[in-house]
Amino acid sequence: MSSNTPSDKPSSALEISDLDVHYGPRRRRRQALRGVSLTVAPGETVGLIGETGSGKSTLARTVLGLVPATAGSIVVGGEDVTTYGRRRWRALRRRGVVQYVFQDPLRSLDPDLTVEESLSEPLLVRGVPRAEAAGRIRAHLDRVRLTEELLGRLPGALSGGQRQRVAVARALVTEPRVLILDEPVSALDSANRVQILEILKNLRADGVALVLISHDLGSVAGVADRIAVLYRGELVETGTAHDIVTNPQHPYTRLLLGSAPTLHGAPADRAERQALRALLHA
Amino acid sequence: MTVIRRVLALTSGRIAVAVLAVIALLAALGPLLAPQNPLATSVRTLADPSAAHWLGTDYLGRDTFSRLLDGSRVSVLGSLEVALTALVVGAVPGILSVHLGRAFEWVTLRLTDTLVALPFLLFAVAVIALLGNGITQAMLVTGVLVSPLFYRVARAATLAVARSPYVEAAIVSGASLGWIVRRHLWAKVLPPLAVALAQTIGTGFVIVSSLTFLGIGVQPPEPTWGGLLASDLGYLAHQPWAPAAPALLIMVTVWACNLLADAVRDVSGEAGRALVDRRRARVHRTDQAVTTPAGGAR
Repeated sequence: MSSNTPSDKPSSALEISDLDVHYGPRRRRRQALRGVSLTVAPGETVGLIGETGSGKSTLARTVLGLVPATAGSIVVGGEDVTTYGRRRWRALRRRGVVQYVFQDPLRSLDPDLTVEESLSEPLLVRGVPRAEAAGRIRAHLDRVRLTEELLGRLPGALSGGQRQRVAVARALVTEPRVLILDEPVSALDSANRVQILEILKNLRADGVALVLISHDLGSVAGVADRIAVLYRGELVETGTAHDIVTNPQHPYTRLLLGSAPTLHGAPADRAERQALRALLHA
Repeated sequence: MTVIRRVLALTSGRIAVAVLAVIALLAALGPLLAPQNPLATSVRTLADPSAAHWLGTDYLGRDTFSRLLDGSRVSVLGSLEVALTALVVGAVPGILSVHLGRAFEWVTLRLTDTLVALPFLLFAVAVIALLGNGITQAMLVTGVLVSPLFYRVARAATLAVARSPYVEAAIVSGASLGWIVRRHLWAKVLPPLAVALAQTIGTGFVIVSSLTFLGIGVQPPEPTWGGLLASDLGYLAHQPWAPAAPALLIMVTVWACNLLADAVRDVSGEAGRALVDRRRARVHRTDQAVTTPAGGAR
């Protein structure tokens, strides 16, 4: 079904089939992902929702080759990367097909490197000449609404929103086909949140496949075409954002929807949540 | 290169570099500058300083000043050899132990533990017996024995950043191990390594002289700073000032090394960059105040 050479027009930008991932040495092996299957088409936005420890980041790290898969297959941009060794992974990464925006933008930018140095890294690693890299960085700044004066600053001298946009810009300089963003807006105020979501909408229009990882269904529901709900390493429900929000099937999804904090929680709501929790733990 | 430029932006860095340049010159030209034959004995033993013998003579009537100059090369090169061997043998596996898989990590850790457990002098004597006696062999052996310090320091500094998101971001961008070390790790590993290097250079002088005392490495009557200090200490009752010159040279060299290491640590990283920028801004403001006429200063 899948081939090792990139096909001309892959129907899906990312295709994950029956993925299993285990952690730890043999005796204390723990399963982090079980039979996860997910497809993301070019230009599609998929929200990956789950609580802390559900395996969201592990899934992203496995797609990026940072964590090895135990079983199943991953096809990125038409290339089956499941059995890739270190060398082939490096070659794929240098082409910038798939990029990742880390959860914490402050820690994902080297504190000793200026914004320009961080942004140019993915290009310099590919062998792009320094002058050309500088030009390409500047071309992308506008896309993420950053100004040139920030290029000389260190990450510590940027605001939270600026840092997140620098992190997005770094992922974009290689023109990826798949962009995975881990909690892209959860640490931002509402103004910056809107700005980042606007940037993501434009990316979708450019045909980039987006995977938005979040623990907060509300922050993703408005931008995602489809939503996949991950619970204890398993995808328990996948559907359009509208269906998931209006007609959730799995008890965990219903619990997530009912968990939005409110000051006026009716006793009936609380009772329903307790019933759902009991159902999940049964 | 950036680190050197930043170190030179600090006053302490410039002082350290200047002092070490003088010491390097002394090491390079010392034996040529010695006014008398440093090995020639005379009947004027334990003489006080005079025009003929600026620092007096030792218990065999040899000119102390000439011996000090002549011994500078072997002392400086010996301690440098110890420090650089330790740096290469210790720091390189220390950095790589985090990246090259569990087998490499396990082997290097056990080797380091073994080196720490070995009795220093016994090991040195055994290796010299195998390789033959000579200053190079002695210093290489010493460097290997000191290397666990560099292994531990480099490994600890690398561990602190190797799993950080920005290193993973570089990996996701397709960066090679060499790139990650050059671009991300080096700036974090360098400051603690510089401090360890300065400390080891200081210890190196003492080690060179200790080994000389045992007849390993530098052979008597060839002079070294540490050797001069040791022999002068035996005649303190006759020449209480005699150990001052070699002690001062060792002290100044070690002090300059430590000053340089501190400067490297201060200018490294984000805080270091900010520190140098502040200093430069202050100098720039002072320059402007000097060039601006008094009435237009505001």
